[in-house]
Amino acid sequence: MSLKSLDPRINRLNLPDGEQPPMEPKAAFDQFETYEVFAQKRDNTPFTYAGPVHAPNADVAFLFAKEQYSRRSACSGLWVVQTRHIMVSPYANDDECIYDTFKVEIPEHTAWPLESYEVFHLKKRGKAHTHIGRVGATSYQEAYHKAKQAFAAQHPAVNMWVVKSKNVLQSAEEDRDMWLTLPEKKYREPAAYKVLDRIKSFKEKQQKALNK
Amino acid sequence: MYGGGNTFEAIKAEGLEEEDARKMAEFEGRIAQGEKIEPDDWMPRLYRQQLIRMIEQHAHSEIIGALPEGTWITRAPGFRRKLALMAKVQDEVGHAQLLYSAAETLGKSREEMLTDLINGKSKYSNVFNYPTYTWADSCIISWLIDAGAIVNQMANSKGSYGPYCRALERICAEEAFHLKYGHDSVVYMATGSSIQRQMVQEALNRWWSQIMTFFGPSDKLSVHTETLMRWKVKMASNDECRQQYLDMYVPKILELGLTIPDPLLKKNEDTGQWEYTEPDWDEFRRVINGDGPCNAERLGVRRMAEERGAWVRLALKNPTAKYVRPLA
Repeated sequence: MSLKSLDPRINRLNLPDGEQPPMEPKAAFDQFETYEVFAQKRDNTPFTYAGPVHAPNADVAFLFAKEQYSRRSACSGLWVVQTRHIMVSPYANDDECIYDTFKVEIPEHTAWPLESYEVFHLKKRGKAHTHIGRVGATSYQEAYHKAKQAFAAQHPAVNMWVVKSKNVLQSAEEDRDMWLTLPEKKYREPAAYKVLDRIKSFKEKQQKALNK
Repeated sequence: MYGGGNTFEAIKAEGLEEEDARKMAEFEGRIAQGEKIEPDDWMPRLYRQQLIRMIEQHAHSEIIGALPEGTWITRAPGFRRKLALMAKVQDEVGHAQLLYSAAETLGKSREEMLTDLINGKSKYSNVFNYPTYTWADSCIISWLIDAGAIVNQMANSKGSYGPYCRALERICAEEAFHLKYGHDSVVYMATGSSIQRQMVQEALNRWWSQIMTFFGPSDKLSVHTETLMRWKVKMASNDECRQQYLDMYVPKILELGLTIPDPLLKKNEDTGQWEYTEPDWDEFRRVINGDGPCNAERLGVRRMAEERGAWVRLALKNPTAKYVRPLA
């Protein structure tokens, strides 16, 4: 006996009917690694944290990110970073700045050349991390100190993320046309649905019928 | 947006007295000041458990809720409705992804959540255990079930857990069109031919009791509910949500000349509260525990997707990869 549904497509699946044995728990890591996505809404605005995706590699992560985070709203660029490549500071209270509350050892400056690191700030708990700038350093610790010197005074933050620039997969300038079709999909906007006139004329018709 | 805001099991709170008093005071102080909790913060076990359960059930409701609506995509009347419904269902599945990630930040992996869903260990919104007989049923879901979810979600987006708030903010922004689309599709039928009117009235009759159970049974203010409200996990009682919903949507339904299949439904002008026939909570409990018209089908379809997709996940699996929970 297979499961009966109102939907013929489900009937064609021939799903088993009746009680099923429970599904075995999966291995701790059955699926994909996580990536964090940053989106830029308009040219010359900072990249802002959009959210995570799960993917088997960076290219697929990019495709998922594009669907998940730039399908519905304006976008001019995307950055995708594997979660494990992001160094996270502790969180400060909203009335504090993380650079005042959190100390790391200043590393001996030994290795050259400098590598580029991207710095993201969380201005307030519950908001989203925003790209604040780039520093050159030879380690995450050094990047943290450089970020403190460069940004702490003008941009207080309750949390900061640092990631090596080379670990950020960035959308290419020539691929921007992938977002060009967004404005064509008006049926996804609330403004595309205007019901008031229809309701009004319906009510008038009913009123007329009553009056007769 | 399909669910959220309430969990369907009683709250089990043990060990609250074992929590570190100093950390607890700091935690509660932060919430009282209106600051958000972020994943690395200390939090009481009850807070973590209850949020995982709530966000997880919300996520499950999104992917399961996509089934009764998705089934109408191929049969939607006209190209415009098809496009809109496809976009809506895609949004809902995307919302599930956002929510699973938010729950993961609290320490439960996505695989565990999906396994618990399939094995019936964690629930989804009970309304999706009922079938959509006609196109009009799918319109009623898009309008009136989504509207119920929006009441919940708007409240929850002011909650205390940062990752859930961020996900809800995105979800609410995407949702704005769902409600309008749903309203438009119901208005179109209700102001149409007599056959269309009859179809939409019958669908409303079928769905009204599900709508009335959507926010869950009346929750007597227990100590635990009070604790969860103080922690801004639960933002409004089930009855408050239901009253707000009736205030907003009963007039919109009636102005279309539709009737609501509850002779006792009326607003008591003295108390300002809606009075109604108490929904059949015995049926609600029976169905949520597995004995509904579509429980087997919903979980069967979900399980098939999981089992038949296993080889894809295996083929793509990176053997050196390690699980890292999302950051925020």
